[in-house]
Amino acid sequence: MEKIIVCVKGVPEPGSVKVDPETHTLKRESSELILNPPDRCALELAAQIKERHGCRVVIISMGPPNAEKVLKEAYSYGADEMILLSDRAFAGSDTLATSYVLARAIEKLEPFELVLMGEKSIDGETAQVPAETAAILGLPSVRGVFEIKFDGKNWQVLRERGSFVEEVSFSGRAVIAVNSRLSYCRPPSLKKILEAREKEIIVWNAKDIDANEKFLGLSGSPTQVEDVFQKELKQKGEIIEGEPLSLARKLLEILKEKEILK
Amino acid sequence: MIDYGLSEEQKILINLAKSIGEEYIKPYALLWDEKEIYDPTPIKALAQADLFAICIPEEYGGLGWGLFEMCLAVEELSRYCAGISTTYAASFLGAYPILLFGNKKQKEKYLPQIAKGSLCAFALTEPQAGSDAFAIKTTAQKDGDCYVLEGMKHWITNGGIADIYVVIAMTDPAKGPRGASAFIVEKGDPGFSVGKKEKKLGLRSSVTTELFFNNCRIPKERLLGREGMGFVVALKTLDYARCGAGAQAVGIARGAMEIALRHATQRVQFGQPVYHFQAVSHTFAEMAMRIEAARALVYSAARFIDSRAKNITGASSMAKCFATDVAMWVTERAIQMMGGYGYMRDYPVQKFFRDAKCLQIYEGTNEIQRNVISRELLKYYK
Amino acid sequence: MKEIALEEVGKGGIWVFGMLEEGKISHSVLEALSAGKLVADALQKELALVCFSAKDPEVSCFSNLPADKVYFVQNESLSEFCDDVVARVLIYLVKKAEPTALFFSADDEGCAVAPRVAGVLRLGLCAHVNKLEVKDGKILLYRPTFGENIVAVLSCKTRPVMATLAEGAFAIKEVETSPEILKLKMPEEFNWESSFKVKKIEKRKKEASPLLNAKVVVAGGRGMKSKEEFEKLFVLAKELGGEVGATRPVCYEGWVSEDRMIGVSGVSVRPRLYIGFGISGALQHTVGMENSEFIVAVNTDKEAPLVKMADLALIGDAGEVLENLLRLITQEKEKSK
Repeated sequence: MEKIIVCVKGVPEPGSVKVDPETHTLKRESSELILNPPDRCALELAAQIKERHGCRVVIISMGPPNAEKVLKEAYSYGADEMILLSDRAFAGSDTLATSYVLARAIEKLEPFELVLMGEKSIDGETAQVPAETAAILGLPSVRGVFEIKFDGKNWQVLRERGSFVEEVSFSGRAVIAVNSRLSYCRPPSLKKILEAREKEIIVWNAKDIDANEKFLGLSGSPTQVEDVFQKELKQKGEIIEGEPLSLARKLLEILKEKEILK
Repeated sequence: MIDYGLSEEQKILINLAKSIGEEYIKPYALLWDEKEIYDPTPIKALAQADLFAICIPEEYGGLGWGLFEMCLAVEELSRYCAGISTTYAASFLGAYPILLFGNKKQKEKYLPQIAKGSLCAFALTEPQAGSDAFAIKTTAQKDGDCYVLEGMKHWITNGGIADIYVVIAMTDPAKGPRGASAFIVEKGDPGFSVGKKEKKLGLRSSVTTELFFNNCRIPKERLLGREGMGFVVALKTLDYARCGAGAQAVGIARGAMEIALRHATQRVQFGQPVYHFQAVSHTFAEMAMRIEAARALVYSAARFIDSRAKNITGASSMAKCFATDVAMWVTERAIQMMGGYGYMRDYPVQKFFRDAKCLQIYEGTNEIQRNVISRELLKYYK
Repeated sequence: MKEIALEEVGKGGIWVFGMLEEGKISHSVLEALSAGKLVADALQKELALVCFSAKDPEVSCFSNLPADKVYFVQNESLSEFCDDVVARVLIYLVKKAEPTALFFSADDEGCAVAPRVAGVLRLGLCAHVNKLEVKDGKILLYRPTFGENIVAVLSCKTRPVMATLAEGAFAIKEVETSPEILKLKMPEEFNWESSFKVKKIEKRKKEASPLLNAKVVVAGGRGMKSKEEFEKLFVLAKELGGEVGATRPVCYEGWVSEDRMIGVSGVSVRPRLYIGFGISGALQHTVGMENSEFIVAVNTDKEAPLVKMADLALIGDAGEVLENLLRLITQEKEKSK
């Protein structure tokens, strides 16, 4: 087995993004990015495949230049190579434009056996990029996957879909969106952390991946943000202060009034 | 409060141990303690993080670092759960004999597995031989190409969960202490079985069992060093491992103090946080001083041992004895400073107290340590 | 059941997609259909449920659906859920009939198929939309993003407008009429082959999050100081015949399983009574419960968003109020014996 590709994303620390009330644009309190937590699940399954079948794990990420730290963190979970897709032209991309960039980069990395991604990112939470990327690549996609096996010819993955657990088998390649609810994800390895310090990150821009300008950034993004706002709140009902016991009594009163407690 | 001039690699190691503690240990420590269960998950995480490879030489798949780095990892893990750090540190207790006395074949066979996380155990203690280690009765008789072990060990940490056991047995009872030898016994060896799991006051997430050797046949290649070197192997190993116990104690004390301190700054009584009352703040000052002193002693001893000094017995004994006594004192005070919250099992501080107690007893009781230290003292002041 | 050629399918309609599984339309697809009706009515367009199944369905499963038409496609190969085939059929239909909008429920099937369709046809797709508005003939899609109090209003430059709709965000409309049911005739040479072989392994006991139909929800957030304190909510929920909900940080801490999460990436609830213990009310969470009939907030912070939106706010330590309440309830039960 040659290589598996894992796509990861750097996301802002939860709570560090606010809306500027005047310009209605997003303001980031800090430029610190963290590795999107669901991506660890993709990295875990990639590490398992590498342990069993001895392939290379290549990490790619579309992000700003300061996403370096995120790539090195992803590397420490058992990867062999890091590629950062960075270009001014990528700014303002929605999921379709992002998937297009990833697809172009993935094609450049042929041959590969499988593409793994976390099923969603904690900032956008659209969960669309894995399947959109697969569609652009002309590859099948599966989501909700929590186990991957390879028997030499075919892949067998287990996925959660609705109230079912299903086995999906296929030969050939696919894009797998890994379930964020894996019961165990390994920690980074000391050897890999130390290795990552000196390891070079390959940077590709739009030209390097033969990207068509009109499919990038804002112009390549058919979903458009009309407005963003921070929700205004007006005081609604009664406010009562007091000792926990008296507050509990008031609550009991309401429960009886609404006949929830008889 | 004191910077020990740690290198970047050492800081990376500590941060890694810390993040493992936060993710894989902290959320479950009280549960494991309450139910007295051994969960292999954090040990798996430590193995995958390469933390079992720290002091294994590079040529066998390790990082080639020293005892000091191992102590840094043990200290950090002990802040989260001393039971888990005991499983981890006791594995090194079982690995050091091979590291220090193994021949090339033995090192090639066992060290790579150990670096990848195969747990080890060290089996010396018997019902009639605790502090009086020389009173062991388990025998190992040469029989052609094998040795046959007969007897039992008890209170062995990692019993049943380890794959590799270093067992001290008498090859020549007539020679007394000079008649003991060290052997490597593997899980699955014929005639080797694991007895009951002990119920303990603390360190409940760690496993302690009896070991039985009934006509246990092992190939002669399993002898570590030469016949008669059994106690040399044991004592030299303990010289290293005692420092690890000291590091555990520092971690336990720090963990307890941190929890109690946070509580004291938030708990309001008589209109102010209780930390403002001198009886409380002075106690914390005392805790901090003793912990820092213990830490400095453990670090000095570990660095001294790593410098390949000849006589390390006194240093490691002091580190173990002092630090473990500090941990017991600190954890008892931590409960007191938290009052009722210190006593309730829903809160973690009482666990640190129960865990700390064992450290004053295992790897040589602190009474034995004082014997060792007073003997060593004579060598310097004849 | 009438069978029609693809050319006869009404163009420019508002379509809502749903798989028929075990002969039924799911709850969340019904919600999506109700949302679609809002848009269809505003734009004066035909509302159609586009539905796939392995066998010809029972006509009764479509009764009283708030749609004008049901277009369904039947083929044996649809007996298992193969993302690639389902998307392929939908893409084919979209190309033929050029609907104005194509909505999915944000369930596992919708989230698997919608992005594939969007990727192939290069269409804009908005995810987890929890409010729809039609303004000057343009469809506006609302969704919370970045976790904290930020709502994004989106539109699509491409047609059909595509969106996955958050479960529990739209109330199910009940109508007196039933839609016209039309079976679509797919071309002979259509490729029904999938790259996948799918096999069902097991069915898990619970169908959906227990929160979805709860009449009473008691939820806990970071203001509950520990997992032990949080777990007392289960005792309260039992007493009140309700269910326990949680905020995202509490789920990520591991205090409770993720199927209890209320909010953008969790479940939306509309109970008669919602009590939030120690919940500040980040938008991420409140969008999941703001349609509750009566909201009670128990929090030490008077300025917390949930306090401001509550019908009744009790300013105090959530854990202590909960404990006291449980004690009072036990006393009440003793009294009535």
